[in-house]
Amino acid sequence: MRSKEEYLQALSDCVVNMEDESVGKVAQEYIAAGYPALEGILKGLVDGMQRAADLYEREEYFIPELLLCSDAMYNGLDILRPHLEKSETQKKHKIVIGVIEGDTHDIGKNLVRIMLEAAGYEMHDLGRDVALQKFVDKAKEINADVIAISTLMTTTMPGMGRVIEMLETEGLRDRIKVIVGGAPISPAFARKIGADGYAANAVDAVKLVDRLMGADMMSLEA
Amino acid sequence: MHTLTPKERLLAAAKKQQVDRPPCICPGGMMNMMFRDIMEQSNCLWPEAHVDPEKMAGLAFSLYEAGGFENYGVPFCMTVEAEAMGARVNMGDLLCEPHVVDSPLDSSARLDLLKPLNINSGRAKVVIDAIKILKAKNTDVPVIGNLAGPVSTAGMLVDMSVLLKEFRKKPLEAEKLMEYIVNNLIVFGRAQIEAGADAICISEPSGTGEILGPQRFRDYTVRYVNAVLDALDVSAKIVHICGSLNSVYKILPELHCDVFSFDSIVPISEIKAALPEKAIMGNISTHALGTMPPEKIKQLVRSCQQKGMDIIAPACGLPTTTPLTNIRAMVEAVRDVKTFAG
Repeated sequence: MRSKEEYLQALSDCVVNMEDESVGKVAQEYIAAGYPALEGILKGLVDGMQRAADLYEREEYFIPELLLCSDAMYNGLDILRPHLEKSETQKKHKIVIGVIEGDTHDIGKNLVRIMLEAAGYEMHDLGRDVALQKFVDKAKEINADVIAISTLMTTTMPGMGRVIEMLETEGLRDRIKVIVGGAPISPAFARKIGADGYAANAVDAVKLVDRLMGADMMSLEA
Repeated sequence: MHTLTPKERLLAAAKKQQVDRPPCICPGGMMNMMFRDIMEQSNCLWPEAHVDPEKMAGLAFSLYEAGGFENYGVPFCMTVEAEAMGARVNMGDLLCEPHVVDSPLDSSARLDLLKPLNINSGRAKVVIDAIKILKAKNTDVPVIGNLAGPVSTAGMLVDMSVLLKEFRKKPLEAEKLMEYIVNNLIVFGRAQIEAGADAICISEPSGTGEILGPQRFRDYTVRYVNAVLDALDVSAKIVHICGSLNSVYKILPELHCDVFSFDSIVPISEIKAALPEKAIMGNISTHALGTMPPEKIKQLVRSCQQKGMDIIAPACGLPTTTPLTNIRAMVEAVRDVKTFAG
């Protein structure tokens, strides 16, 4: 039998090596050996996804690899999650994410969701071609901390600004951060429409949300 | 040197021959050139102009007549090819372009579910007819036909995430899908040329080095874009690749196009160094065109010319809220040859 450390390493390796078929078996063995699910997720699967992100930043991995790594991560999560203690599903920051109305390109959005999920955020994915009002309604419903909006088409960009206006109208703008991304989006555009931030890719999106949420916590403490 | 017609200028610039000044164009297709001002002025409105050849041609013609780009270009989206092969498309509205809402395949292995692109029906025929209408006007303005790139088309026929994974895990099936798409794009491209297109532009927003990485950019994008280009007999072949090109500079010379068009984030000096043999086209920020004052647009155009851009064009598709005054300012700045002296 393998030690916990060996199992964690194996889980992490399955993710970074895109072994989406064998990861489930390793996760089952890990649980059968009596090791804690939470550690398997954080020090195994999420660690593997983090290594994949590092390889992506070094341009050794590209989008196809990240997608396959995330398949492996999710297959492992399917096994480990049911074994989490109730207390371990701790209160997390909630994020509503979607591709805006008029656009169906969702790879970028999916990667951002995956990386934010791996970073511990509770993700509510509205999918693609999402009506503007739906971002606002969902954020209200789940009491979201962040709305993340993506588009790959220049003709759908103005909708992003309208979501922000709708949040203002409903008096929600102060407590919900809005971040935007996608190929035609620039930091200048994000500033112009009054968004709280822009990220160029999924790895940067995690850094951005960490920063926004960290700043948020500090302002609450102050 | 005598004053060149817009068509002579574009075709000469595409071959890197000496011209009086660079042409100022926007090809159409994924590189959308249309916006609300011109739709309302011409009463050729989206979404009707995507499905009616008279309105499609009317809109392209009106933009030139209004002092816009020095070409006609159709269509105004990149969904015609995928729709003709089986994808379901939402035609959008006045401001929002058509987009695929349902891909017919859940894997590239299900190639048997696709149908061949028929140039005598649907929107493929609309595009062909629009080109014929524009050609029949017998002006000096070049007509640019457009094709969605093979990788981008594949990403609309199979869900893009699945496709990217299959590029890695099922390369043989993916290659068969790509070959099917290439053959159909060739049929559509040839029909556009026969109808009167003076140039063809292939845009690859999805088949980029950023997304695929350099090896697959060569194995899929370059290989299949070239397969289409090689089968087309036309005076000017343009290829547009979106996004950062850092990882693929060394591969770009392998593209069999005359003109290479690129995004506003790509430095002109780096592309010139990477592609000394090709004409380069771009890369005026569409964000600037959509939101900044005309003086700023003129500055951007002048800077682009000073850095040696062969063909001045927007860096990407235009937002439909772009003001006509900014497009006029862009064209006027290029025409102001004084800025080009020395």
